[in-house]
Amino acid sequence: MTTQTTLQPAAPIGVAREGNWVRRIPWTLIVFLVFAVVPWVGSRYDTFLAEQIAIDALFAVSLNLLLGTTGLVSFGHVAYFGVGAYVCGILMKTYEVPFLLAFPAAGLGTALFALVSGYFCVRLIKLYFAMLTLAFSQIVWAVAYKWNDVTGGDQGLPEIPFPDLGWMSAIPGLGDLRTSDQFYLLALAIVAVSLAILRRLVRSPFGRVLTTIRDNPERAAFIGVNVRAYQLAAFVVAGTFAGFAGALYGIFSRGVFADYVFWSKSAEVMIMAILGGMGYFWGPPVGAAVLVWLSQKITAYTEYWPFMLGTILLVLLFALPGGIVGGLAALWTRLVRGRRRA
Amino acid sequence: MAASFLFSQFMGGLTTAMFLFLIASGLSLVFGIMRVINFAHGSFYMLGAYLAWQGVQWLHPTGAGFWLATLFAAVTVGLLGAVIERVFFRSLYGREELYQLLFTYALVLILGDAAKFLWGVDQLSVSTPPVLSGGIEIFGTTQPLYTLFIIAIGPAIAIAGSLVLSRTGVGRLVRAAQLDREMLDALGANVGAIYTGMFVFASFLAGLSGALVTPIQSIVPGMDVLIIVQAFIVVVIGGMGSFWGTFWGSVIYGEVLSFGILIFPGFSLFSVFALMVVILIVRPWGLFGRPL
Amino acid sequence: MGARHYLLAITAAVAFWPLSAGAADTIKIGFPIPLSGPTAVYGKPVLAGAEMAVQEINVNGGVLGRKLELLSRDSKASADEAVRLAREMIIKDSVDFLAGTLTSAEAPAVSTVAKENKIVFVAPTSKSTILTDEKHIHPYIFRVASNTDVEGLAGATLMARWKEVKKVATIAPDYAYGRDSIAAFIEALKKQRSDIQIVDQQWPKLGEADFTPFITAQMSTQPDAVYCSLFAGDFVTFTKSATPRGFFKAINNRMIDGAEIGTPDLAQALGPDYPYGVIGDAYDPVIWHGTEPPEHKKFIDDLKKFTNSQYGSGWSIVGYQAIYALAEGIKKAGNTKSDAVSKAMLGMSFDTPVGKRSFSEKSHETFAPEYWGVMVKDPNYPFAIMKDPELLPASFPTH
Repeated sequence: MTTQTTLQPAAPIGVAREGNWVRRIPWTLIVFLVFAVVPWVGSRYDTFLAEQIAIDALFAVSLNLLLGTTGLVSFGHVAYFGVGAYVCGILMKTYEVPFLLAFPAAGLGTALFALVSGYFCVRLIKLYFAMLTLAFSQIVWAVAYKWNDVTGGDQGLPEIPFPDLGWMSAIPGLGDLRTSDQFYLLALAIVAVSLAILRRLVRSPFGRVLTTIRDNPERAAFIGVNVRAYQLAAFVVAGTFAGFAGALYGIFSRGVFADYVFWSKSAEVMIMAILGGMGYFWGPPVGAAVLVWLSQKITAYTEYWPFMLGTILLVLLFALPGGIVGGLAALWTRLVRGRRRA
Repeated sequence: MAASFLFSQFMGGLTTAMFLFLIASGLSLVFGIMRVINFAHGSFYMLGAYLAWQGVQWLHPTGAGFWLATLFAAVTVGLLGAVIERVFFRSLYGREELYQLLFTYALVLILGDAAKFLWGVDQLSVSTPPVLSGGIEIFGTTQPLYTLFIIAIGPAIAIAGSLVLSRTGVGRLVRAAQLDREMLDALGANVGAIYTGMFVFASFLAGLSGALVTPIQSIVPGMDVLIIVQAFIVVVIGGMGSFWGTFWGSVIYGEVLSFGILIFPGFSLFSVFALMVVILIVRPWGLFGRPL
Repeated sequence: MGARHYLLAITAAVAFWPLSAGAADTIKIGFPIPLSGPTAVYGKPVLAGAEMAVQEINVNGGVLGRKLELLSRDSKASADEAVRLAREMIIKDSVDFLAGTLTSAEAPAVSTVAKENKIVFVAPTSKSTILTDEKHIHPYIFRVASNTDVEGLAGATLMARWKEVKKVATIAPDYAYGRDSIAAFIEALKKQRSDIQIVDQQWPKLGEADFTPFITAQMSTQPDAVYCSLFAGDFVTFTKSATPRGFFKAINNRMIDGAEIGTPDLAQALGPDYPYGVIGDAYDPVIWHGTEPPEHKKFIDDLKKFTNSQYGSGWSIVGYQAIYALAEGIKKAGNTKSDAVSKAMLGMSFDTPVGKRSFSEKSHETFAPEYWGVMVKDPNYPFAIMKDPELLPASFPTH
């Protein structure tokens, strides 16, 4: 088993380090509050961007459960995003099922699909695993693209209704907001809760087994871990949360279309995770934020965004393999060490 | 169903198959030796098409223009492959496979926009070379000469390729590199040169297939992304690293698509992906491949 | 660990840096349209027509004293891209109105965006009835294009004239436009010639790379004639595969295509490979035989100058009409609020270089007829042109 020197392990918990004051500040709470006040403080476009970032962050973190935590390179993660989006969208639009039911149903549907596909995927070694995840995701795409009656085919499913948000008027201050802003807050809450759950999971004994499997599957098997079962569990969890992200995205973008499930979207979310730093839990959200922001900035000036994205990826691969967060963490450590030595 | 119709569908499937074989064979080779899935292979194919168009424009549509342009395109793409391999790929060999994969994806993004920048976004097309335009009547159907030419090239390359691999000194080195590169390196062979050579040859093949497809298909942005998944399917079904495997994988793919629209019109696209899934579950190294 | 959170906070703050410029005093029209890929051969001239209209209007003082500003974006003929662009232009660029889109995959999707944001959307080319049927109509959608029922009637009328034809096959892209146009054609044909049998139907996807399996499958059923709804780059790709296989020869060039293959734009794209002898249609045949209306002559001359092209285009007219219709609506309403403009546009008539058009009160469309004719070789032009263009259908029951 080759040692994975380029992957940064998750930082050990409870290790005392210089700069402890930084750790005591409740960063996640601050960020959440910053996001929460956007509808009041920012423009409609700011809310639009913030929502995009939040949903992409959840999608990217779900992928990282496989990629960074368990060491499973999935090239078909968008399949679960797509299944979630379509299940929720079809239920809400075609069958007028309320969001309260459609959303969990989307999660359930995605989980089932992840269970079935994952069962086959985890039995394969790295390269074949990646190919099979890609194959499953293209199947989802082919079905979405061709099954006109159910998925709309080329037409897609435009006009996904907003959930019934009347209850929000009961909360002081929220009644005056536009429906889309109310939905933004709901989506943000769902994303925050999901991220909290995932973070818990990664730091739990379950998560530690996953990182053990990532670092040395033979040793894990040797000490009695059922490697396949844990990998499948990670697969299902990752898929389910991707499905939640997809369901939210369908409502956010007011429609679900076959292009959402094309394989290049899997590559995009992988870039988000790696750009941020796949060795850190908060790496992917940072990557998502940076990528969304960059793409907006750059497409305003040039149509050659893919070229810029490719260049960024090259820089990442050759110069900054730990991602943004990894690079900053290294920088911080060096600064701190430097101060100590002085 | 009339025999002539079945024959038509069969020949149509073969044409698709042989085009795919040309491009997939390079992908399979690179994988067999270097264990790398090269996403940018589709980009080389696309560049081959655009360069062939460009060559035809420069040489102006005379009969010889097309063949020269094709050669020009294939050679240029081969050279590009050499540059990419030496300058970039080398430094990634020791690293995680994920990084190699992502590198090839970065290439897809960059080369795709480069093509857009150089040739714009319009749909371009090339006329069939006069010596191969027109068709022959076989079994009550008209078979275009050009597609017959393509169908003939496929097996020719497969045979030539497997002969080179099995009978020549170079071929022996390549097969050895496929089996055990460390040992080969220890024995003093220049593994680096083999890698570069293989990559160049694969890129050449990709560029060649792109150039040859231009009289039949239009040149559009996005053709790189569409073809690469098809090439993956073929290589998975046939077996990575195997010439004949890729050949038969292509034939299966082409015929399933061709007859698929008759049997289940909505699902022919679905069925090729389903086939890929089944092979990966049941026999991941493909029909003719060897377990890794 | 701290560094990560610190960075997250900074990124969050920076992400909300205002990105959009403030509003100017122009009337902004968002115009997503395919500018790349197979459909760009139609999309680009439509945009050119719209741009020329905007320039003409601005030179003449604008609308209600304000200039028009066209924000065009490449929709890549994809519904999700068109929706994303439309939303972005509404949210970020604060456009006052929407126009454009090419295909009937994009237009109905953008229509839902227009409905939700209460912004008037004028669609110049989408023909599928799904855009304005009872289930999807709303106050803000208006259609300048013809529709599939009108097209089907015209196509059937022409097909019915071929008395010796008994077996007809159809081939069309598998999405709203293709499905609707074929359905309308078959229904109209059955009424005129109940003796005709539909022997085969093929449904390639929009943007299909290889039409061969569809071509050979259709040829095996030996139809006498074919009704086709393939268009733009798809028609080019299809023809290049079909001709060497003897597809056109087998049906004696008896193909009718109602997807505007009669435009010089497409004829030039195919050049000498054009299947001469087929029947095509166009909103504007451009090369006029007989007495040409002076408005049309002026329009084409201006267009040639504006786009620096020798032959003009058969597609620019609908982009041009869309902008003029919108401008007329704004003038009539007296302001740029979409609610007022949409009310003003109901039943409104407006002038075009090829005659008067009006938006029906019930379905907000024009039921525009088109020019149909056999595409022939002409010594004066290096591409196929329409022989004796006929305005069809002669009449259409509009509600």
